[in-house]
Amino acid sequence: MKRSSFSTPLRPALGLLRLVVALAFLLPLLWMLAASLYPPGVPLPATLRLLPQEPTLRNFARAHELLPLGRYSANSLLVVTLAVPLSLITASWAGLGMALLPRPRQRRWVIISLAVLMVPGVALWSTRFLIYRFLGWYGTVWALIAPAWMGSSPFFVLMFYRAFRRIPAAVYEAAILDGAGVLQLWARVAMPLARATTLAVALLTFALYWGDFISPLLYLNDDRSFTLPVALKLAEQMTRADWSLLMAVAVWAALPPVAFFLLLQPYFARRQPR
Amino acid sequence: MAESHLTGSGPIYRRFRLLLLPYAAGIVLLVVFPAAVSFALAFFHYDGLSPPRWAGMLNFILAYTDELFALSVQNSLALIILPVPMRVLGAFLVARLMLRGGRLLPWLRASIFLPTVLPGAAYALAWLWIFNPRFGPLNVALAAVGLDAPAWLVDPLWAKPALVLMSLWQIGEGFLVSLAALQDLPAELEDAARIDGAGPRALFFTVTLPLLAPILILLLFRDAILTFQESFTRILLTTEGGPYYATYTLPLFIHEQAFDLLSFGVASAALWVLYALTGLIVLSLYVIARQWNVGTTDETFVL
Repeated sequence: MKRSSFSTPLRPALGLLRLVVALAFLLPLLWMLAASLYPPGVPLPATLRLLPQEPTLRNFARAHELLPLGRYSANSLLVVTLAVPLSLITASWAGLGMALLPRPRQRRWVIISLAVLMVPGVALWSTRFLIYRFLGWYGTVWALIAPAWMGSSPFFVLMFYRAFRRIPAAVYEAAILDGAGVLQLWARVAMPLARATTLAVALLTFALYWGDFISPLLYLNDDRSFTLPVALKLAEQMTRADWSLLMAVAVWAALPPVAFFLLLQPYFARRQPR
Repeated sequence: MAESHLTGSGPIYRRFRLLLLPYAAGIVLLVVFPAAVSFALAFFHYDGLSPPRWAGMLNFILAYTDELFALSVQNSLALIILPVPMRVLGAFLVARLMLRGGRLLPWLRASIFLPTVLPGAAYALAWLWIFNPRFGPLNVALAAVGLDAPAWLVDPLWAKPALVLMSLWQIGEGFLVSLAALQDLPAELEDAARIDGAGPRALFFTVTLPLLAPILILLLFRDAILTFQESFTRILLTTEGGPYYATYTLPLFIHEQAFDLLSFGVASAALWVLYALTGLIVLSLYVIARQWNVGTTDETFVL
């Protein structure tokens, strides 16, 4: 059921426009990548040419000499390994819990979730800092992954809610009649039917924690426990004007979420729009 | 329409509510409680070490007479009023453009979303390079077509537009939500309008846009709030509030008060501006949710 609201002579022009827009969105990333491949030590030439004549990976080796990037990467990896599975569990629980409520209550939870979504993080910085210090989480990885206990963001909860609400009630009822408990219903019925949503939320959660710059800045005190985003700030202060080196550090930090996204992309692409 | 609305009752149905427990507890412990405490801290002297002492309205006077505070509010508003509608409208238009297409479509959509999965700090550094006045690719390109390029982030006049420009590439969330909303529009509606003789433009303005208005308003609110915080990362990695305080925003003021000067009271007093804004948004949200039945029907789904 292909249909288009545009008349046929416009189609090729639209296709071209789509391509141009997509390339425009890639351009900043390409510029960043290209700069990181220039040979170290020489100032970058002011030319329009995107790639250097002899692309080199030497800047990445230099970046690891400049900063303990291995340690910072390991710290970041620890954060996402703890936060992403935990957050997926709590977000999907909340989404399922909402979807199984009677209608008026569903709406109340949607409004609560939207309201929480509107609370600016800035408003919570200083008191979260005091709470984490009180709990002994200040300076530990727990301060970084604390939001995972509530599904990280109401946005993710609402994504799961939307997916679970599309499953017909009869499916849930049948499982309950078969004697399924709460956790069985979640693990055997709901989650397998929301695989695409789970993957999408997993990716967004990964990107959220991997890229979190503010929490380590506020809640960590020991530079040995820093994560990659804070390392980027350090690199910026240490490499003034050595652009190819700085871009290598940035590319290093950006690679995992981009790779994760591109790995999942074929799976998203297979999803047919309704 | 399939509705997953259970009709049964009894202990098993009540147990499902336990699934909401971590979420509800998290909202109380990590959002409501911290917000309430910082709301109250505005009336105390507190340095995070010695016990809080009553300060009355002093923190408000200290914050609201601070020139930097006034400047930070102005700068924050300037960085919200223009760019937020631009971002939401941009995300929506790109989603409309990418609604249908050929075999490449999934990859084109992926490239729209790609800048959004980048860590905020890495993204900001990329733009620090792009905006470099002499060697940065943007000015090299502008010079190649004969344009006189500004110094962007180091020019007090151009620093804000530069921050706005760099924020326009990270619109993945709005893009995804708009795309899902457009895909969920009932096809019959558009067909009926077309049979009535509506052209593509009339169709867009009289059918598509009004139906998606609640979603777009939600996105506007969400983006306004998010911009506060996301701009902090970008600013700290590019301009650090400069040049000449041109990009000094409210989060920077609060960060400085709380974490550099340890005046949690003054920081909280400054936050009251944010709470007023949030309260206003949540109130309008409630009105919108009531009027449009957000979250109750399957046609106007939420997010």
